[in-house]
Amino acid sequence: MHLSLNRRHFMGLMGAAATMPMMGRMASAATPFNFQASWINDAEFAGYFLAADKGYYKEAGLELEYLSGGPDVIPESSIIAGKADLTLTTPDTTIKAIVEQGAPFKIIGAQYQKNPIGIVSLAKNPIKEPKDLIGKTLAVPPVNVISVEAMLKISGVDRAQVNIVPYAYDPTPLIKGEIDASVDFTTNVPFTIKQAGEEATSFLLYDFGFTIFNDTVVVTEETLKAKRKEIVAFLKASRKGWDENLADPTAYPKTFADTWFKGTGRSLENEVYFNTAQKPLIENAKGVFSMSEEAIAANIEALAAVGITAKRDHFDTTVLEEV
Amino acid sequence: MATETALGASVGTTRETSGFRHWSALRNAAILLVAWEVLGRFKLVAGGALPAPTEVLIRFWSDRGDYPAHILATFQGASLGFLIGNGLAILAGILFAVSPVAARLGRGLNVAIFALPPIAISPILVLTFSGMTPRVVLAALGCYFVTMSATVTGISQTDRRMLDVVRAYGGGRLALLRLVEIRAALPAILAGLRVAAPAAVLGSILAEFGGGGRFGLGAYLIGSLGRADPARLWGIGLAATAMALIAYGIFALIEARLTRSTRAVTVAATPPGIRSEGSWLSTIAITLASITLPFLVWWLLLKVLGTPAMIAKTPAGVFDYLFLAPSATSAQTRLLAALGQTLPMTLIGMAAGLAFAFLLALASVVRPGIVRSFMPVALVTQTMPLVALTPLLVLLLGRGPSVILWITISVTFFPAFVTLAQGLGMVSRGALDVVRAYGASPFTQLRLVSIPASLPYLFAAMRLAVPRALLGVMIAEWLATGTGLGNLLNQSRGYLDYGMIWTVAVVSVLISVLFYQIVIVIERHVLRKRGMQPAV
Repeated sequence: MHLSLNRRHFMGLMGAAATMPMMGRMASAATPFNFQASWINDAEFAGYFLAADKGYYKEAGLELEYLSGGPDVIPESSIIAGKADLTLTTPDTTIKAIVEQGAPFKIIGAQYQKNPIGIVSLAKNPIKEPKDLIGKTLAVPPVNVISVEAMLKISGVDRAQVNIVPYAYDPTPLIKGEIDASVDFTTNVPFTIKQAGEEATSFLLYDFGFTIFNDTVVVTEETLKAKRKEIVAFLKASRKGWDENLADPTAYPKTFADTWFKGTGRSLENEVYFNTAQKPLIENAKGVFSMSEEAIAANIEALAAVGITAKRDHFDTTVLEEV
Repeated sequence: MATETALGASVGTTRETSGFRHWSALRNAAILLVAWEVLGRFKLVAGGALPAPTEVLIRFWSDRGDYPAHILATFQGASLGFLIGNGLAILAGILFAVSPVAARLGRGLNVAIFALPPIAISPILVLTFSGMTPRVVLAALGCYFVTMSATVTGISQTDRRMLDVVRAYGGGRLALLRLVEIRAALPAILAGLRVAAPAAVLGSILAEFGGGGRFGLGAYLIGSLGRADPARLWGIGLAATAMALIAYGIFALIEARLTRSTRAVTVAATPPGIRSEGSWLSTIAITLASITLPFLVWWLLLKVLGTPAMIAKTPAGVFDYLFLAPSATSAQTRLLAALGQTLPMTLIGMAAGLAFAFLLALASVVRPGIVRSFMPVALVTQTMPLVALTPLLVLLLGRGPSVILWITISVTFFPAFVTLAQGLGMVSRGALDVVRAYGASPFTQLRLVSIPASLPYLFAAMRLAVPRALLGVMIAEWLATGTGLGNLLNQSRGYLDYGMIWTVAVVSVLISVLFYQIVIVIERHVLRKRGMQPAV
């Protein structure tokens, strides 16, 4: 059959397709799906890169659009603005936005079972536990100030006794001793410090009572209703990517060097270090992204310490059950 | 003798280019480079946080594969913004020059655009637009005011006699514009474009910090921050500086080719002159409309874009957030606390920046050689992204008021210096000859003649310094001290506190506009008393 369409007819058909999303989806081979990452392209997202490179999203019927993040990108904004369907967030800010501003978010999974954020210091001036911070200068990204305050409170350290200054993600002041410690991903910074000829020591906020996830998988309630099938497909393909990547954390970063990692200004060794260090924080007996009831309860309890009243209702575990 | 040549060189209009001057400039640059190399090599500054120039070069060479994509992306954002911003600016400038009512109506919008602190509106642009758009918009905004004022100035300085000729032959308004005014304004417009070109580069880079794109020098800088590699950061910063200087140089060349005239590098910091015409009632109506217009544009833009209300706050949304919502009291408390920290530092920083610019301008009269060799350093401070220098700055200056003060001075002094030096250079030769004939020393000449005579330029410099001082303080607070409006803005981004992000942006613009208006009122009062005209 020969179909001839002029431009106007074509536009009309497109309009009709837009009003009937179900039909549109059945008709097209791959549905566009936009994913907003929470940071610049590094090993933190290796699983997604792998799934994209190996065509897992295509197999699942998705046309994935990957949006890189960065220090000033607010991932949640992308899903409110409709730029992205799904994003990765820190649960404290997401739940704060739900509670205080009525943001229509649902947490449907968690990449990091244990938040990789920790206190990093130099081995020659070590900060081994929260109490060591008393009288010291700690650089904290403004976004993470609440997390740090929670950890201090849980550990019984007076906030006023720690000098908290802004952290601009450059470890130079720590290496040069201008600050005593900084808050950053422990999967990453110790490597940089070693490169600069110093030895680092670190502990996770998680291990001192601030028991939250990180890179929580977040969608809006509306998207969850309208695109549930695609979300499930995305999680399934991503889990496959992660499983393969974590099987040998040294294997895949090099395949991204000239594509995903191009122009980030970071070294391959750094990414391999990161990928290896994050393995125990991501792995989960029930499968990557899973959120156990105990872990959700621990999140709620930790957030309560900073005055954020998270509810079980903010987490939705039913999507992953379909994966 | 020394006076005029020194000023000529320092404000960029070369009046004397003897071989000796070239040699001394080269010699000074070489001394500077060697000193920098020694300081860097032997880790004499901040325990090695200042890399030596050779280290920067070596790093640049090993990173050479990374640069092309980043430079291309920044170039795209900057050049598109440059085209759009300047296109609009020239059209607006023509409109304002032709219609005094339009000029008075547009005044509020013009001052608001002039006073926008990029640091405060960049997150808003990123929230509202996607892809390359935030870069293009910020680059365009960086160009608009400079070129618009240059166009207005250029057209209003058209030779009346030429206009009369066209009129006598029956030329209408359009013919006047086409045949005389636009041609007459060309040198001024080109001078505007020259200053706008580096502004477009910086605008694009600033928006890249928050834009989340993968490529662009700003994105590269952000990605490289975590590596603790000052040589890399300096390489990126210097690449940005080189881009800005090349853009400036290209337009300087075009200008010289087309107009073959020397002009001052400064561009007016006053919107088109307003002569009060008509009744006081119409004056009030137009003033009110001019104040309302920026808010109307803001509101309309959001309506047209259809950004969700949770992210994009309209004027009503900001009012609601700050006064009516349940969280209003908390928001007010946080805002006032931040203002309490930021405002005093802004005033002190502005005073310090102006004082530094003034001393430098005076020194350029008394000791031209020293000032001339300082100029390359001064230029780099204007184009180097400060975030690249943060570790160095906090290591050298700590995280107290002194780091705020120095960052503010560095952000403020340069345009003020250029304006002041221009003013000192325009002092009437005759007046100077009188005191010289009585044997006055250079200092007495300054005190009795030059300083009083360049008062209009001091006010012009103050107007330029106002928004930049607030910008400088906010940058320092955001990067180093963690206090005030800068930190509030940064933290609000992390907490998804959209209401506060908009509030900080709006408040910072209002503060800039308010200070700017205060300067204008004082300026009018003082100059009227002395029978002087404001410098444009």
